Amino acid sequence: MYSEDAVVIVDRLEKVYSGDVRAVDSISFEVGRGAIFGFLGPNGAGKTTTISILTTQTMPTGGRAEVLGYDVVKEPSKVRKGIGLVPQELTVDDELTGRENMELQGSLYGVPYSDAKGRIDELLDLVKLADSADRYVKTYSGGMKKRLELAEGLIHRPEVLFLDEPTLGLDVQTRTSMWEHINKLKRETNMTIFLTTHYLEEADALCDRIGIIDHGRIIALDTPEGLKKAVGGDVIEIEVVECEDDILEMIRNMTDVVLVDGACTDNRARIKVPDSGVALPKILTSLIDRDVQVASVMVRKPSLDQAFLEFTGRDLRDEESTSGNNKKEPGPRKGRFHRRR
Amino acid sequence: MMKETISLIARDLKRWYRTPAQIILVFTTPLMWLLLFGQAFNIGRLAQVGDNMTDLRLVFGGATDYFSFMAIGQTAFIMLFASFFSGVSILWDRKFGFLSKLQVAPIPRAVIPLSRIASSLVKSMLQATVVIVLAASFVLVPGLSGLRFSPSFDLADALGMALFLILLGISLSALFVALGLVVRNEETLFGLINLLNFPLMFTSSALIPIALMPDWLRAIALYNPITFVVDGMRQLVFDTSVGAEYSVAVDLLGIGVFSVLMVSLGALLARRALLRG
Repeated sequence: MYSEDAVVIVDRLEKVYSGDVRAVDSISFEVGRGAIFGFLGPNGAGKTTTISILTTQTMPTGGRAEVLGYDVVKEPSKVRKGIGLVPQELTVDDELTGRENMELQGSLYGVPYSDAKGRIDELLDLVKLADSADRYVKTYSGGMKKRLELAEGLIHRPEVLFLDEPTLGLDVQTRTSMWEHINKLKRETNMTIFLTTHYLEEADALCDRIGIIDHGRIIALDTPEGLKKAVGGDVIEIEVVECEDDILEMIRNMTDVVLVDGACTDNRARIKVPDSGVALPKILTSLIDRDVQVASVMVRKPSLDQAFLEFTGRDLRDEESTSGNNKKEPGPRKGRFHRRR
Repeated sequence: MMKETISLIARDLKRWYRTPAQIILVFTTPLMWLLLFGQAFNIGRLAQVGDNMTDLRLVFGGATDYFSFMAIGQTAFIMLFASFFSGVSILWDRKFGFLSKLQVAPIPRAVIPLSRIASSLVKSMLQATVVIVLAASFVLVPGLSGLRFSPSFDLADALGMALFLILLGISLSALFVALGLVVRNEETLFGLINLLNFPLMFTSSALIPIALMPDWLRAIALYNPITFVVDGMRQLVFDTSVGAEYSVAVDLLGIGVFSVLMVSLGALLARRALLRG
């Protein structure tokens, strides 16, 4: 039932913590060799728990998972040899130099010293740390530490690399260069990469396939294009100065309108249409005909943002702002088009 | 397994000797104890000014003065403190994610506590040497009493001392490293350490002669593992069984049994703590 070249197989995997907290709730997916697979979801969705199970740090409470053909519960040491992990938090040692950190990592992964030396130079070069290799890590910036962490994860040339929130807390430039490193790895080594992120841009920029995870469940699993396609057409968000009861109904009954979401008390509506170029003029004309004053109009082309909203019923950013991570948001800020009341 | 262990020991030691404050503490802490506690607390004088001249060696485990007595006890003290720190350091490694990095690595789980016990031993043995050298050099300072070795003290005696200290260091750091792995909250760990610190130290003959203790305390002190260690070492340093509680062989057996117990307990606890949750 599984494809031949799947290097990560997850089958009805489950992690229930005491007090019936279902961190991972019966998820199943596969990652093919050489693919970049992304887990996208808000904080607390179960991404890190899944990585933790797959990298043999946490025991699942149900289901099973295989990495490189080895069961993560029964043969953890075989799994460990073949995988690399770049954890969410920084674990590089401040009191050692960058090179010493790499040497330590190499010896933990049984890389012979003769091989390690060349590889360390090569990897430090890859993550552009060659010039700072012999400086203490405590003098590094956050971005440099993160890059060193990435280089460490590669020292034993793992077949599968796990990246837990690889760009969390990094500035936009460092984020972009991290993406370059990851894409370069994929091009040059055909390494299988499993990453988690709550940045839609990141999942879009890097991943061949994306699983959207929320409350411990996978709610969508597809290519970025597939997910966008599933969302359908464009979304028009209209805000009016004063709403009249029947205009929502009027728009809903128009041809070319797929879905209308909103309430009159809100003075705003989210309208899904196959093609905004055709639908928008019609909608605006009919509103003006009714003497309804339009306050703002926004058109959104299909994006993962929408896909996320579509599948989870809420904006990813809503979740972020409650967890205090909204300051680190990448890219231009897009307007909210949905609020949960 | 050897290679990873050595790399991790090297990592711990680098973190240690690269922190100037740590190096200063290696010298100043024992110096304070020897200089202030050891010199000021010279209870040997009490006996000397009294009428009944007792053989002080009976009180001071073979030493003729209190300072020589406590200087040996001080080495055991050092082992105890180094063990506390090894336990605390492993808790910090958990906090900073370094421990989980080790848990993902394809290394035998035992390497994690073993490397920490070993690095703790290297540090504490160095410090114990500093204590002995400092205490002995006090002989040269006018006005201070110093640690006086028996003239027959030789390399075999020195190695015997080292064996006692190493066994003590292994047992205590096995216990505290395991506690550092099990306890995940620093306040709890510090509390536990404090709870164990006082009884271990002050129910032993490290700093207070057993002869001066009330009977009930003496009954406890006679079975304190630190008592075995300092009792044995004093016989080696002062080359006499006068004032000793046990023979050197019994002392060695006592600390040996304690080591086996602590290492087993430590292994049990560490194993549980390193199992996947």
